[in-house]
Amino acid sequence: MAEKPVMVIAVDESEHSFYALEWTLDHFFAKSGPDHHPFSVVLVHARRIAASVIGVSGPGSGKFITVLETDIKNEATKTVEKATEICNRKSVNEVRVEVNEGDPRDVICEVVDKYHASILVVGSHGYGAIKRAVLGSVSDYCAHQANCSVMIVKKPRI
Amino acid sequence: MAATATSAGDAGTGTGTTVSVQQQEKVASTERKKMKVMVALDDSDLSFYALTWALDNLFAASVGLGAAATKAFPGEVDTVYLVHVQQPFHHYAYPVGPGSTAVYGTSAVVESVRKAQEEISAALLSRALNVCKEKLIKAETLILDGDPKDVICQASEQMHVDLLVLGSRGLGKIKRAFLGSVSDYCAHHAKCPILIVKPSKESDRKDKHIP
Repeated sequence: MAEKPVMVIAVDESEHSFYALEWTLDHFFAKSGPDHHPFSVVLVHARRIAASVIGVSGPGSGKFITVLETDIKNEATKTVEKATEICNRKSVNEVRVEVNEGDPRDVICEVVDKYHASILVVGSHGYGAIKRAVLGSVSDYCAHQANCSVMIVKKPRI
Repeated sequence: MAATATSAGDAGTGTGTTVSVQQQEKVASTERKKMKVMVALDDSDLSFYALTWALDNLFAASVGLGAAATKAFPGEVDTVYLVHVQQPFHHYAYPVGPGSTAVYGTSAVVESVRKAQEEISAALLSRALNVCKEKLIKAETLILDGDPKDVICQASEQMHVDLLVLGSRGLGKIKRAFLGSVSDYCAHHAKCPILIVKPSKESDRKDKHIP
């Protein structure tokens, strides 16, 4: 049995990312049945490391960090649950999920390598040139560095 | 019934039933949205690789249904627009050397170059059309003039395409490939989703013996 090529879809908490997920599922995965799905889906979500969010160290910071950690974990779980729910709603049921800690750019590229994905789907915040340079663009980085074809889905600006 | 009897073919008596069957099938199959895909092509092998890759992977679902599907509901099949952008030929040349001035090409030279360009474009697009035909996908071709980056983005906007497909030249053997300038520009400026197809790392895989 030939294994289906893998499609990695990157999700984060933003609207753009869920839009990208829905768009991809609508256009690529017919409801006619899982046998006709051209790809097997892997969702990847990057969880920020608490230590990177705040550079706090010193006495008393321990508790603060654990609270922050739980908060981040909850947020990640919520995002992943929402994403899997969207998939199930569109009858895409065999979805693998990867939630990894670290910088989204590296996490996404690592997951692509791990599954030897044929295609990576990312949303795009649509930052202009300046914001992009300052904030850094995950979709930009992935488009350059990922070892597979990359699809950037943009939410149309109204 | 007299009117239908005069129409050619055997479909005269059966028109009523076939229309309703088609409508039913249409309702059942409108789950996956029809996609308007634009593929930008140039002379390189990479853009053909991108076209083949895109057709194989994007339309696998409809191809799986087979030729029967395309006959049953012709309106439901995705369309592919093959775009080739011709770069404008500069009507003058600067010879290098002391005291050089711009030399304007004679009209004969301009004409012959333009003709050559058209021939190349036509050959390219007919090759691409054949690829699409082999995969039973409806395709239309477009030849446009100008700077590829701008023209591709404009064309994708004007035609309201759902997906823009580009090959990425990258820098060949260098491990960390970079995008070519056209795909990079379009990735930033196109309003629609964009798929950048990179050449597969077959050579890498052979070294690593990945099962």
